[in-house]
Amino acid sequence: MNQQRRDFLKKASLGALAGIGAMAGIIPTFALEKTDTSVFSDRPQPGKTRWGMLIDTRNCREGCSECVAACHATHNVPDFGDSKNEVKWIWKSPYEKAFPTSSLQLPSRQLQELDVLTLCNHCAEPPCTKACPTEATFKRWDGIVAMDYHRCIGCRFCMAACPYGSRSFNWQDPRPAISEYSDTYPTRERGVVEKCNFCSERLVKGQQPACVEACPGKAITFGDLNDPASVIRTMLGDNETVQRKPELGTLPSVFYII
Amino acid sequence: MIMISGIVALVLLIAITLFRDDGSTQTGPSELGPAAPVDSSMCIASKEYMQAHHMQVLDKWRHDSVREGNRTHVTPDGRHFDKSLQTCLGCHANNRFFCFMCHQYANVKPTCWNCHLSPMESSK
Repeated sequence: MNQQRRDFLKKASLGALAGIGAMAGIIPTFALEKTDTSVFSDRPQPGKTRWGMLIDTRNCREGCSECVAACHATHNVPDFGDSKNEVKWIWKSPYEKAFPTSSLQLPSRQLQELDVLTLCNHCAEPPCTKACPTEATFKRWDGIVAMDYHRCIGCRFCMAACPYGSRSFNWQDPRPAISEYSDTYPTRERGVVEKCNFCSERLVKGQQPACVEACPGKAITFGDLNDPASVIRTMLGDNETVQRKPELGTLPSVFYII
Repeated sequence: MIMISGIVALVLLIAITLFRDDGSTQTGPSELGPAAPVDSSMCIASKEYMQAHHMQVLDKWRHDSVREGNRTHVTPDGRHFDKSLQTCLGCHANNRFFCFMCHQYANVKPTCWNCHLSPMESSK
């Protein structure tokens, strides 16, 4: 290579480097690579939304289980017909089972006879996600404690960690126990844990959860707990509500009006 | 000499920065709904690409939608798709044997259908 040309190239590149350095120093917004923010705009922002549910037991009709049927049909939840293999996403529990640590030691007869709708609490501090060795269950950006069935290895640590018994294990292939397939949601396979997903597959379509829609007494309210103007926040402000086992510090996202 | 070359480089750099397309004229996906299979008249990529790479596409879609909540797939020509196996089956389930013909020929046994309803089971 020509010596002069080599010199020129050396000096030119040095000059260019100095120029870039000077520009970056003089104008801080000057960047070599522009970040295209539109790429990120459809991604959810963690902590912006926190989905929550308020169950008004006063409007929950005795003997009615429309919400349970709707949920289990929507999500292909198997029905084995025996309690050992039982898989449940939402179910009714007696009051003292749902609120065993409630401050009421000798509750009224009305409370003793009350059946309370129970489901995964989608805790803000979920113990199950911390127990999962494969991060198959994890807290989502919108507060939902989600299950990634692709990753579940069936160790059931999460079931041991959940203080609410909200998780069920598929001891058998669930498919034969599903009377009619819903094609809006996959089934599970043998050896995975499953639970309520707050209808995340319906939320992305702008629909309310299946149980909320199915309830004939409008006893379930669903909404964003982080939005002070939401219906659920208004109702929480107007009524006295309780959460299940609040002393554990799991910060459930499901509230009850008893 | 250094000064001149430096100034030339700077002017060039500024010119490049000023006249490059910063993408501000594009409309962001934020104006769309949260998730929507918008255009299903054509596949997200060419037939040849999908035959060879559909497993990578599906694996990425699974990760994006399940774990990151990024559900919208935008093709290079600007069409939007919901990152879901249902998007694929929306068209391809028309042929009940669409997945199985190839998988059987290639002797691959993907675990998709352990949980997801295959066109064999879902089509009435």
